[in-house]
Amino acid sequence: MENNMEMLNQIIIIAASVGLASGAIGTFIVLEHMALAGDALAHVALPGIALALAYNTDPFLGVLASLLIAAYLVWFVRIRTKLPSEALIGVLFTASLAVGILTIPDTEIVESLFGEFPALPSWKFVFIITSALALTAILFFKTKQFVFLNTSRELAKAYGIRERTELLLLVIFAVIVSLGIKLVGTLLMGALTIIPALIARNIARSIKSYLLFSAFLGSAISVAGVLLANQYNFLPGPTIVLLGVFCFLLSLVFIRK
Amino acid sequence: MDANTILKVENLSVALEGETIINNISFDVKKNDALAIIGPNGAGKTVLFRALLGLVPYKGIIEWMPNIRIGYVPQKFSFHRESPLTTKEFFLLQNKNFWLPVNQDIEHLNHELELVGLSSDILARPIAELSGGQLQRALIAWAMLNHPDALLFDEPTAGIDVGGEETIYNLIHKLQNERNITVLLISHDLNIIYKYANQVLCINKDMKCNGAPIDVLKPEELSKLYGEGAFYHHHGK
Repeated sequence: MENNMEMLNQIIIIAASVGLASGAIGTFIVLEHMALAGDALAHVALPGIALALAYNTDPFLGVLASLLIAAYLVWFVRIRTKLPSEALIGVLFTASLAVGILTIPDTEIVESLFGEFPALPSWKFVFIITSALALTAILFFKTKQFVFLNTSRELAKAYGIRERTELLLLVIFAVIVSLGIKLVGTLLMGALTIIPALIARNIARSIKSYLLFSAFLGSAISVAGVLLANQYNFLPGPTIVLLGVFCFLLSLVFIRK
Repeated sequence: MDANTILKVENLSVALEGETIINNISFDVKKNDALAIIGPNGAGKTVLFRALLGLVPYKGIIEWMPNIRIGYVPQKFSFHRESPLTTKEFFLLQNKNFWLPVNQDIEHLNHELELVGLSSDILARPIAELSGGQLQRALIAWAMLNHPDALLFDEPTAGIDVGGEETIYNLIHKLQNERNITVLLISHDLNIIYKYANQVLCINKDMKCNGAPIDVLKPEELSKLYGEGAFYHHHGK
């Protein structure tokens, strides 16, 4: 029982920190109209998991590697080609899902898609928490650059902001998704980044409050979702996402702009 | 480059995706000049600005005065309505401390807004909700915020009603006199150019003329630039 309690505490702390980071990155993903791209990107984790399982390595490494490659691809398509990026991203998404379903063993597939209560060695626990907090800090630190590019690419470039900043955004997104995938699952992790940002957008009157609200909401919704899931024996991923959607609907009903 | 020259352009050519947009243009800009750039649509005026700002690759020489600060007011500017960016935050994009600006900077910002005739209560409003006239003034204040040596204006009048248009130019003129800044502006309006510019550069891919307005804005020069029958042809049959 005590062991369970300790595990639950660990998961709550993971949910709080990964939720915080997801909420923070989500603000920029939504501002950049990359919600769909982000969602698709998260699914690319599936082939990564499959590869890692096949080669008997830590799935986290497979996820991280495949997401970083996909992040670069999405960025490259966005910046360097004239191809309609949403169409390519659609292809990327379905291809990843197809590869994942075919290659991941049946025993792992539900957890890969929808997340689980992870039992983690302590080094990994510390690694996830510190990474999530560090990435959140970087996002706050770089807010000005991201907002500048989002506001006017032309002006931002004239004032010395480089386009590579956007690649940084996607890379941070990829790492945050990798951190959260164990808990929330590949199919739902994209939603965890988008929903807090949408709710925050309904409340916020400035960029700063938008970012702060979103980070806070990401954290609060994830923790509440974990507690609910634990109470009623649900999978954590869908519980967190549905709770988020419920909060979003509330924000639509009660907040008038 | 002598001490009085703020910008020297030599044999500047810009090609975008294989198409030549600007071909072999050379000109100088002296301190405190007001240079107007004219030319028909698609003549490469905005691309010239973008080359001067280092936003597009080019061939030739663009040499600014060392350590120059440049302010830029782009032509088309629309904010995403879904962004909650406030006017104040828009100005803070230029500040080192975006999250926690010091009071001094906010006071300076209020002062700059006053100068362009805006009240400081627009700072709390979303920038996407400013009117066309307010936005144009805000963009000028934004470009002026760090006391630039040179200001680049791309069609300052676009989208502003005629009543407001005059004041935008008066404003630019005032800023030029009070702060000794050099102004480069793209314009279509010959009256404005006569009134405010001391140098005119006519381009249509190539350079068509370069000199004082009184010397170069003659019917024959303009018809060379815009084609026969463009401006100042009042002879009738």
